[in-house]
Amino acid sequence: MGIVGTSAVLIFLSDRQSHPTKHLAEMPHEDPHPPEPVHRFQKQGFSYENAIKFFFASNAGLTIVILALIIIFLLKEGLGFFPGYQRELEVYRIAGLEFVDISRKNLTAHEQITSVLNRTYYAEINGKCAHQMRRSQEASALFNAYSDLTAPTRDLIVSNSQPDSSPSPEMIASLRTNFEKQKSKALATLPPTPHLTPEERQALIESIRSRAFDATDDPPLVASLTTEFAEAREKQVKPLEALRTTIDTFESAGSELSSLVSELTESVTATKEKIQDADILEKDRKTLLAAASSAEDPIEREKLVSEAQASLAQKPDIEGPIRILMERRPACIAAHQSLKNAAATVSSQLPNTLTQPEASRLLKVAHNLWPLFLADLEKTPQKITDWNHLKPVALSTAISSFITGKDWVTGGEWQDFYGILPLAAGSLMISIVALTLAIPSGIGAAIYVNQFASKREQSLIKPVIEFIQAIPSVVLGFIGILIFGTILRDLSLMDSLSWIPGFPIEERLNIFTAGCLLALMSIPTIFSLAEDAINNVPSAYAEAAEALGASRVQTTFRVIIPAAFSGILAAVLLGFGRVIGETMVVLLVAGNRIKIPDFTSGLGTFFQPCHTLTGIIAQELGEVPLGSVHYRALFIVGILLFAVVLIINATAHRFVNRMKQ
Amino acid sequence: MDANSLLPPADASVSVQHLDFSYGSSLALKNIELEIPAHKVTAFIGPSGCGKSTLLRCINRMNDEIPGATITRGGIHIDGVDIYQPSIDVVKLRREVGMVFQKSNPFPRSIYENVAYGLRLRGVRNKASLDAAVEEALVASALWDEVKDRLTESALGLSGGQQQRLCIARTIAVKPKVILMDEPCSALDPIATAKVENLIWDLKNDYTIIIVTHNMQQASRVSDNTAFFYMGELIEYSDTAQIFRNPSVRKTEEYISGRFG
Repeated sequence: MGIVGTSAVLIFLSDRQSHPTKHLAEMPHEDPHPPEPVHRFQKQGFSYENAIKFFFASNAGLTIVILALIIIFLLKEGLGFFPGYQRELEVYRIAGLEFVDISRKNLTAHEQITSVLNRTYYAEINGKCAHQMRRSQEASALFNAYSDLTAPTRDLIVSNSQPDSSPSPEMIASLRTNFEKQKSKALATLPPTPHLTPEERQALIESIRSRAFDATDDPPLVASLTTEFAEAREKQVKPLEALRTTIDTFESAGSELSSLVSELTESVTATKEKIQDADILEKDRKTLLAAASSAEDPIEREKLVSEAQASLAQKPDIEGPIRILMERRPACIAAHQSLKNAAATVSSQLPNTLTQPEASRLLKVAHNLWPLFLADLEKTPQKITDWNHLKPVALSTAISSFITGKDWVTGGEWQDFYGILPLAAGSLMISIVALTLAIPSGIGAAIYVNQFASKREQSLIKPVIEFIQAIPSVVLGFIGILIFGTILRDLSLMDSLSWIPGFPIEERLNIFTAGCLLALMSIPTIFSLAEDAINNVPSAYAEAAEALGASRVQTTFRVIIPAAFSGILAAVLLGFGRVIGETMVVLLVAGNRIKIPDFTSGLGTFFQPCHTLTGIIAQELGEVPLGSVHYRALFIVGILLFAVVLIINATAHRFVNRMKQ
Repeated sequence: MDANSLLPPADASVSVQHLDFSYGSSLALKNIELEIPAHKVTAFIGPSGCGKSTLLRCINRMNDEIPGATITRGGIHIDGVDIYQPSIDVVKLRREVGMVFQKSNPFPRSIYENVAYGLRLRGVRNKASLDAAVEEALVASALWDEVKDRLTESALGLSGGQQQRLCIARTIAVKPKVILMDEPCSALDPIATAKVENLIWDLKNDYTIIIVTHNMQQASRVSDNTAFFYMGELIEYSDTAQIFRNPSVRKTEEYISGRFG
């Protein structure tokens, strides 16, 4: 304001001065710097409006600068990962860990197949005596529920009535009343036993009620059902003896390789430690030398240089241990050969189907694993012969083993691997569950609210859905663990739901629970944006359709939704962005097992725990040493997430623009 | 296609009886009494806010969606049927009373799909009968020669006048009995206006047409009968030649001669 005011005064003054000069027109000019002619409309100085404009422009500019800084920082911290990982892989090779892993990989495959076969065997037996098993389990569960509730009061009586303690009779009496009270309470809240007849249940309850408080044996029905179950199993074991022997043969076929691997493991780990120690010393020396070259005081410099020379490590002896390793080559090849022969024989001895569906499914899984296992064994001797510890590791190997690596192993004694696949698979699986649930409900709600709801319904539904967004995600995760996860697991234990793939679920925290909660979190995003998109369809379209005799539903689904399609697609994409970027809920609820889900269990895969791209950063970043390869690996994961979300947003933006045209 | 649409449109006259209509508490139409004959063009004229568009939109119940808008007295009969009685299916009513809007509003689809749209709503799937109906409607709306080679192109690529004629084609493709036109030429240039006016003149053989217009010349050119509205009331209604040459009410004469409005 000040500037404008002053300039107005200046104009006013110069105006007044012009009059006398007219009178003195003949006088020569004395002023060497005549003031520049100022006309009334001339821009003057830095105006108030400009200042406001500049203020807002700087705010907008700041966000762009910050975004640029984030990108630069991410890249600076992250890109150092690949050379570091390259060195780690180099050590892995030079020390011979890679050589041992050739055998170890087959050993793991062998263990996996063995475990599948064992599960098949027990699934067959338990499936055949499912009835006896359930009866026995239910009776035990009922008795256990009773014991859990009454144990504390019972123990008090027992410990106080030891011969060496001298209990007062009143105290014992009051303890006994307490126990009786607890007992009747426990008997009133017993779990259901659908597979026991009412008479059996009644008898069981009676036997519990009348049993002495210090009795240690099981109630008669529990004991008899346990024996019944054991007998039933015994009966089933007989016809399956051949299968059992086959599995046992296969299991023991791996023992030779197993002992060989553990023998080699010890020696290569020692070599690796030596190399790593040397690496650390070398790094220290370089730091000292760098400090020396920048030190100004000559005495100080002298000291640093001598320190650096002192820490000069001896080059660790690699060739010696490798030579020993190479001498074991024939033994390795022989062990593989015998494993392969055993595997080929066992494969032909296995039955093709079994009577129980679960057992048959597992057997099929085992059969499917077989060709791959045999093919791997076939290639192994060649691999062992070809292996060379001096083969250089390229940077591209580090990059490709990050992108296609199936293991994310950190802080282990053996070797750290940074493979993104388990995390990416986890994030993707959770997103699939979340979007499968959120897209129909989010878009459906948007269509209903915008097209069909009354004013009152609108004023109720919209704020409620938008409120979900305001729930802190940690609270949602908390609810997910305690309520949703528990309810889901209890539901999955019900017999009537056992037809659902993956039921009964083993882990309370899994992909499905996390997906459900993320669906809840992304519904508001999808709902709001889809509702906006539908709302932005010109009302002339609806009017035209209605005038043509379209019903409300026809207008909505044939005119409005097609016209809003791009916008709805953008809403879905932004919902996906929200799901992929969400951290707290997945960290709390996804189960955090770093492993590619086992897709052999079909739809049941969705009930396995997993870990995610976002969760791993949140979990591990606080604990890694600054600047380590692990630390940088987490930054690379961050860059990946950043890129994914950026692409999603850019695509969504394009869809929105297309709709506007 | 159902059998009904194969017959030539039957005569349909519209009769407005003692109609009072209000938006909330303000009365927009007062005691309107009007007989609109079949196969004629009837023009509604009057200054802005006189209620002519409101009355037009009452005839196919497009006002139903507006909150607070109700008929407080009287009613409208089409061919003797009270269209405001509770048993009327609004969707079926609008299939017989089509409407063309002030601003052309084709759907963001192809020309063909726009014209076929109303038929598809009625469940017509047969490609041959759709093709025939689309061609017939486009010929009738004098657009066929201009668009026959680009039926699959987007309707939004047409000029304003073409778009408006496409909207008319879309309306007549479903063979209504009455066509309501709400200032159909107000956004068009004189040449496009002339084409639409010629079209209206041609269409009256088959349809009962009611047109709202601000343009006196247009009313005198295209209509058989003219109704003049002022402040929600029907001031004068008679033969167009009569009303323009020799209006019987002073207010009408003042409006026609441009002294207000």
